Amino acid sequence: MRKIYLTLVLLLAFSLSVSAQRAKSVILVYLDGGPSQTETFDPKPNTSRDYYGNYKGVAKTNVEGIEIGEKLPLLATMADKYSLIRSMTHGSNAHETGHYAMITGDATGGAVVYPSYGAVISYMKRDSYKGILPCYISVTSANSRFNEGGFLGNEYKSFDTGGRPEKPEYEVEGIVNKFVDRDALNRRMALLEQFETLPMDKQEIDSLRAINMEFIWGASREVFNLANEPDSVRQRYGMTRLGQSCLTARRLVEAGVPFVNVRTTGWDTHKKHFQYMNNMLPGLDKALSALIADLDARGLLDSTIILCGGEFGRTPKVMWEAPWNGGRGHFGAAFSYLVAGGGFVGGKVLGKTSKTGEKVVERPVYPCDLIGTVYMLMGIDPYGTLPHVSMGELPILPSLLNPKQSNGLLYEIIDIKKADYEK
Amino acid sequence: MRKILLLIVCLSFAVAGRGASSQCSDEVFLRRAYLTVTGSLPSAQASASFLDDENPKKRERLVSRLLNSELGFKYMQMRWGDILRIKSEFPSNLWPNGVQAYNRWIYEQLMNNVPYDQMVRNLLLCEGSNFRSPAVNFYRAFQQRTPENFYQNINLLFLGNRYCTDNGFYCFSQVQFKSTKEWKEEIIYLDYHKKIPAMRIILQDGTQLFPKQDGDWREEYVAWLTSPNNRRFAEVMVNRMWYWVFGRGIVHEPDDWRADNKPSDPQLLARLTDYFIKNNFDMRKLMKRILLSKEFGSEAAPAGFYEPQRLPAEVIVDALASVTGIWNTYSSRVPEPFTFYPPRTRATHLGDATVSSTELELFGKVSRDVSLEGQRNNAITSRQLLYLMNSSVLEQRIRRSGAIKKICEQNLTVEQLADAITLRVLSRRATAREKSNYKEYMEKNGLSLRDLALDMVWMQINSNEFLYNH
Repeated sequence: MRKIYLTLVLLLAFSLSVSAQRAKSVILVYLDGGPSQTETFDPKPNTSRDYYGNYKGVAKTNVEGIEIGEKLPLLATMADKYSLIRSMTHGSNAHETGHYAMITGDATGGAVVYPSYGAVISYMKRDSYKGILPCYISVTSANSRFNEGGFLGNEYKSFDTGGRPEKPEYEVEGIVNKFVDRDALNRRMALLEQFETLPMDKQEIDSLRAINMEFIWGASREVFNLANEPDSVRQRYGMTRLGQSCLTARRLVEAGVPFVNVRTTGWDTHKKHFQYMNNMLPGLDKALSALIADLDARGLLDSTIILCGGEFGRTPKVMWEAPWNGGRGHFGAAFSYLVAGGGFVGGKVLGKTSKTGEKVVERPVYPCDLIGTVYMLMGIDPYGTLPHVSMGELPILPSLLNPKQSNGLLYEIIDIKKADYEK
Repeated sequence: MRKILLLIVCLSFAVAGRGASSQCSDEVFLRRAYLTVTGSLPSAQASASFLDDENPKKRERLVSRLLNSELGFKYMQMRWGDILRIKSEFPSNLWPNGVQAYNRWIYEQLMNNVPYDQMVRNLLLCEGSNFRSPAVNFYRAFQQRTPENFYQNINLLFLGNRYCTDNGFYCFSQVQFKSTKEWKEEIIYLDYHKKIPAMRIILQDGTQLFPKQDGDWREEYVAWLTSPNNRRFAEVMVNRMWYWVFGRGIVHEPDDWRADNKPSDPQLLARLTDYFIKNNFDMRKLMKRILLSKEFGSEAAPAGFYEPQRLPAEVIVDALASVTGIWNTYSSRVPEPFTFYPPRTRATHLGDATVSSTELELFGKVSRDVSLEGQRNNAITSRQLLYLMNSSVLEQRIRRSGAIKKICEQNLTVEQLADAITLRVLSRRATAREKSNYKEYMEKNGLSLRDLALDMVWMQINSNEFLYNH
């Protein structure tokens, strides 16, 4: 009887909050190290070489008035599918605090270490998500600069796939093990069963092992088997780590996984910035444009949020002097994010930076504004709470309530009206 | 006379309800002592020689040796690092040089067995540069460096007080910070111009403190805190030590002392506290006494007192490395200056919560965000088991292990192989039944000796016996 009552209450709670839910999944393409906004989503062609560096040109997009970096021609053909935030800001120029701000939405300074938004979503979906794949997956590994799980604990940290999706054999940690086939694992399990003498948590451990056997050999294994994709599709994403990681992300989202973190490193370009950009931007262009187009073609873009950006941007002014010799430093005052799908509208630009890009001049967007909007689109109340083991219920995004750390949810670029949501 | 004494001993066992018969075996004691004191497995050689030793005092000798070993000091250093939140980056932000100096300082305190009250005085009454007077890092490891925060943390660490409401924090309001031109160097100094607060300083127990205008106000508080008359101070450490050994405090959680959170065995706590104070806060003696107690030497629950504990993340990772002989390499590329740890560095010795690995994260390495013991999460998750069951990285390490290869190349019988592997992984020899099971398994599946060895290692690191300190 009590169970039925509980179910009713849960259902009721669910039906009240469901109205704002647009998305079932999030794919975060995280450019670790801090990508340059000037070469990506906020070009500054009308300045001087001290700012635009080696890239004077721009790519005109298919949306009137929106221009992006010249090395992103494929993304330029589909600006109607995504929007750009050009006024991201948190003011921190250190990697760890930048990561913390962009991955938790909490402005640093408090005594409490918040969980990443992947962990929060994983916690919030713990009952409703029924898949055998973990709720929060990192392809191929999560950032370990701070505690991913925050005060929610280990259980909600991401599952790191490890391995190399761009190689012929994508060895997903714990799932694909080329040394041990099914018979060998079964044989070993039988030996273990015979040997296990200590009774601690036996029932629980046995059931966890049984779940793992299904995870290893069941349908989810095939999700990671990129050989199941036509070669043309794989080529479209690019046979790079990033490209095949994005393809993996699409397959995971198809399988219902709520949060996929595609983390790619190498964006901390203090030196040889333009050489790096020459090498890296085509790969990003290919992978991200293929991901957006593919999800769209499969009818999944409406229910999948795509985010692309890093922990901060890079100094708008090029450091030509030694030892940088054409590099860009850390820059947290003004940088860009790309957002698409899952309730985000396409073809818009939110916020604006100054002529040289050194300041936000219109509509600052703080980390919690973006992450709060993601929560809302995922059907999670951005003004709700999370349980802290010793402090009780804490706000899910404390910065959202602080006018110095928030400028409001991003109603300008989503298909929900403020008046409808915040009554 | 001796007979009477024996009788008393026997009676006291009987009264405690845990008779001498529930003493654990030498195999169990060896592994338990190593893991508890050093966080590492004994080598196969050390195991064999302890098991073959016929000296009746061998347990005591083992415990003394471990308590006085570098591995012992280093593992204790990790426990202190956890609660002092030693970490380069957010939220402690000590930075690598500060972390190294602070760790070295703690190591020396432990190596020299500085009495607990003295160590706390050294920690709290320091001034100077974070590089040259490393204890000052205590005051740096806060996001918000306010007297209230210092005080709250001191209450939590040394009095087990989660909520303090008195105004003792005034004693820490002289603490100031200034930077030097050295990268990330900071001087912690006292502002002697600060005026003594008009408010009277009254501690929770009613003690009134009278700091002097031209003095270090912290001294008044710290003298009160570390005095043998302040029984709570000693009790909290005794209880923490008990917690470090058994995974459960006599008062539990060990950092949540409240009137309504009673000790499970008040006499035991009182006895150990008396002993600790009488021995001038000697932490090594305290630990030794606990390790030689009947509780520690008992069989695992439910037969005996000792509750098996899943190994901490760092210990599991190190144990897998010592079984295979292939060690992880650790480095921290940011923050600058980059830190590269020497090869074969143990995870238990990293000393910096910023430095991590996928495996350490998987098994729940402490991120040192808070000073609570409960921050360590040793629950077994399906992903941890998945890693042990079927990680190709781990499987490769077993296959590439020179040590295991060498064992296989010695033309051993199945029985000898079983002993060699089991000593290496589980610190004991294989039982007769296990040996015959292995033999049958090998024949049934048509395996080579090498295949059998690989399966054996896999099976043993997946067993509860490996995952738990039992």
